[in-house]
Amino acid sequence: MPDLPKKKVGIVACSGEELSEGTITRLAALKVLERLRPEDTVTICLPLFLAGGQGDRAFAKFHPTITIDGCDKLCAARSTEMYSNKPAASFIVSDLIAENGLSKPSGKRKMDEAGMRAVEIIAQRMAEKVDELLGKSWNRRQGEFIIPEDKSPVSDESDDETSVQATCSCGSGIPIQKIAINGNFMTVIGLPLMFETFFGNKEPATEQTAKSILEMVKIYNSIPQEDEELLVEALLREYTEYVQKGTSV
Amino acid sequence: MNETKPKIVIVPCSGIGKPYGTVSREAAYQVTEDDRPEDTQLIALSLLVLGDEEARQAVAANPSITIDGCKLACASKMVKESGGKIAQEFDVLDVFRRYRDFKPKGIAELNEDGQKLALALSREIELVVDMLSSSSNPEGGSNA
Repeated sequence: MPDLPKKKVGIVACSGEELSEGTITRLAALKVLERLRPEDTVTICLPLFLAGGQGDRAFAKFHPTITIDGCDKLCAARSTEMYSNKPAASFIVSDLIAENGLSKPSGKRKMDEAGMRAVEIIAQRMAEKVDELLGKSWNRRQGEFIIPEDKSPVSDESDDETSVQATCSCGSGIPIQKIAINGNFMTVIGLPLMFETFFGNKEPATEQTAKSILEMVKIYNSIPQEDEELLVEALLREYTEYVQKGTSV
Repeated sequence: MNETKPKIVIVPCSGIGKPYGTVSREAAYQVTEDDRPEDTQLIALSLLVLGDEEARQAVAANPSITIDGCKLACASKMVKESGGKIAQEFDVLDVFRRYRDFKPKGIAELNEDGQKLALALSREIELVVDMLSSSSNPEGGSNA
């Protein structure tokens, strides 16, 4: 069975190269991704929504995203909504600068002091939003997060034939699953998350459910029409196994 | 006569997953801010993704030089999708193959090798900028 990935939050920065505020979005996003919440976040390349990033679009469809924009054109927030899903939270650097009474930043290649202060504040706000979205709370006494018990039907067994792995050149980490069809393996983007969704909705392992899963699979994967019938069979088989594992936990 | 001189559009990668994206940006800044500010303008990829009219017009009306940080070539694809004509596509990985001693590290801040690679890339871009500028201006005016 697939080892369901830990839920993460996608960070989408506008990266606007022509503005200091754009550089702040990049640096704040990097601070969250690399230092503040490295275990809980992944980056999603904004241009990949259009330039062939099937995995990135799928990720933002299934996972909460936080967008960070430099100005009120809102390239990151609007593009994320346009090509994938409405962001769970959106920040605008210029608003946060005004809100916090910070000086106007300058410098695109190298931030000035005001810019670095803005990076710190914005990154912190984003990290807090990540915690909120993941339902995490901070244990002050122990100095660590209180992690809620994972209730998803995860198996400890590893199975090379149905391995789940992260993809995407920029490290977004959309989960995939390989399923056997007629002796060959097909890689299905986002399938573990689809199973999770259907299982969470208490959908029974029936042919009808498998057909519904196929419809969702087709949104994020290119499926030749002639393979659809076989794929429904494979999805039913895999989902049945998933449900059995889930209900036996 | 005070005609606005058309500027060559420079579109770097906006990726923050790998140092090559940062190299592309650093090279773009070197060209547009330091070395050829009169001949070039930087257009942010995010504006093209959103379909910003001003950005689309800029790439549609001027030759573009794209700098991509990976093989997915977002910058090149977006310029083409925005109706632009690409005069030259640069891929940081190809440039790195020519300067293997310069191993870039760091995304928020490039290491020294990354800075050197960006500078080498900017020199290659500037050759193209100068060629395009001189062909559109027969009386000269190169910054070289």
